[in-house]
Amino acid sequence: MKNFSRVLDLIIGVGLIGISGIAFVYFLINERFEWIPEVALELVRDQEILKRPPAKKCSECHKNIYEDWKESRHSVAWTSETFIEASENRSKEKCLPCHIPQSIQGEKPEPRTDLRDQGIYCVPCHFIDNKMQGPYDLLAPPHPTFRNPIYVRSNFCGSCHQKTFKEWKATEVEDTCQDCHMPREKSRLTQKKGLNLLHKKRWVGDHRFLHGKITKEDVILETRWETKFFNISLKNQTIPHFVPTADNGDPRLYMYIKFFNGTEEVDNAKEIIAPQQETALPYNKKINYRYRLFDPVSKAVVELKYQPAWSKEKTEVFSKTVTR
Amino acid sequence: MKFFGNLFVVISFIVFPAFQVGAGEMILKEPPKSINKYYPPESQPSKWIQQMHKMSTHFGGVFINLKEEDFDNVDKHADKLVEEYKKTSEMVPEWEEYFDIKAAENFANAAKTHDITKVGKASGRLGKTCGKCHAEQQVSVWAKFHWPNFHKIKVTDPISEKETAYDDYMGSISSSFKTVIVNFGEGQYDRAAKALKMFKSRFMELKSTCSKCHINQDAKRFYVGPEIDSALNELNKELSSEKPNTRKFWKNIDLIGKKGCKHCHLVHRTNSLIKEIWQQSVKK
Repeated sequence: MKNFSRVLDLIIGVGLIGISGIAFVYFLINERFEWIPEVALELVRDQEILKRPPAKKCSECHKNIYEDWKESRHSVAWTSETFIEASENRSKEKCLPCHIPQSIQGEKPEPRTDLRDQGIYCVPCHFIDNKMQGPYDLLAPPHPTFRNPIYVRSNFCGSCHQKTFKEWKATEVEDTCQDCHMPREKSRLTQKKGLNLLHKKRWVGDHRFLHGKITKEDVILETRWETKFFNISLKNQTIPHFVPTADNGDPRLYMYIKFFNGTEEVDNAKEIIAPQQETALPYNKKINYRYRLFDPVSKAVVELKYQPAWSKEKTEVFSKTVTR
Repeated sequence: MKFFGNLFVVISFIVFPAFQVGAGEMILKEPPKSINKYYPPESQPSKWIQQMHKMSTHFGGVFINLKEEDFDNVDKHADKLVEEYKKTSEMVPEWEEYFDIKAAENFANAAKTHDITKVGKASGRLGKTCGKCHAEQQVSVWAKFHWPNFHKIKVTDPISEKETAYDDYMGSISSSFKTVIVNFGEGQYDRAAKALKMFKSRFMELKSTCSKCHINQDAKRFYVGPEIDSALNELNKELSSEKPNTRKFWKNIDLIGKKGCKHCHLVHRTNSLIKEIWQQSVKK
């Protein structure tokens, strides 16, 4: 019985020491990593990471972020068929800086010569001045990460999305690009077994770089009949940049207007609302369209459809019948 | 003496490019296929033009350093010129005969005497080899590689929403424009107004087309800018009125024709026609 008690004490003691040890390491890694001598850290550094590795290498630890990025348009910036076609088999020099950037730092980047198939991947955004950078100061044993406030500011995205950045700035809305296109949730930065438990949960941005869905709550339709005219106004009420927006891509909203007399279609009209045609909808401002009625008209059907730059498919934003 | 040296440098830079334009007539043949590998899309960057710049820089480097009496660099540029000249002579086999390696070596030897009179004399024979090739091939090379190929551009016709070849699209625009004019001339104002709507839509689509190559807004605004937009709106206003004003109508049609169509054609059409002829000869 006495022996059993001793063994139990020993187990409890070892357990407590173990738990305390893990807690201390957790505290050390997450809160006081500057206490760890650099010599000790050198032993666990992965020098390959500091040689601009492909995204797959980063995925060994940052699995979730990698998988999100794989779903993003950034990951296919160099390989998408739309890009290859629009850039005449990637020969247009104007496309290269932003489709294969060397390093993003708040200004238009230079194009890189290596790993072009990776498009816009981890390294151009996070490996700046030969250091891994992000929104947090982190120990991250394989590589130190240094906090840079640029990651939560719109001008970082504005390095390439310059036109959209200017549009957003003019709205004076406080929400940044990241607030809408990289919504954050509390999760661990690494999924590598063992290491993941040593890292506390932090706010991590969605690396799919979400492309918001345009709805009838975003674009408000108003109509008005006159004897010989039909008037429409559209207002981008919620999106703090032009809709659609693009520096060089050609996303579009198509507005179809069909005029009916009873059940017979007597006329139609169409508007192409696109940044390249300088017809995109500015934030919080009504844009008016006016149509002359050539024949007797009893109703109009107004449809708005969205076609992103990388697709030929259109999705409906709204469809509304307006009777006279 | 120094004055004559400076004068010679200035004259050489004026005369050297002048070697290029000696021919009274020019036949624009499509450049040989072997040069394709030095230009996009086969090569990024444009290696051929880089090679031309290298030779031009070393040739100029000889004269600049002679003027500065920096003779070590005169010798270096002379050697590099021969090296690059030889390399260039092997790049396009069909053009091998334009090159005279002996003339390049003589020029380098003359440069190494540091005697500006001897250098000037030797530069003439070498310069002529460059000039002959430029006179016979430069326009063709620029036409083929330095101007974008309109025949590859696809335009989404805003009326049919189908992708259309650029040439066909130009035909559609032209046809819409004529429909406006013909109907107006016949006093069929409602038809002219409907055709104008179609023309405007097609013409404005060109803004997207310009953006396929031009990175800033200025180029497209030059051809399809606020003046054209205003002219189209004025036309629409006239055609929507009870009695359209003929003078205002033709004034705006004229403006669109000159500022929109003609300005773009002046800049882009010659090159497009050259390429079209080459393409047709390939098909035959």
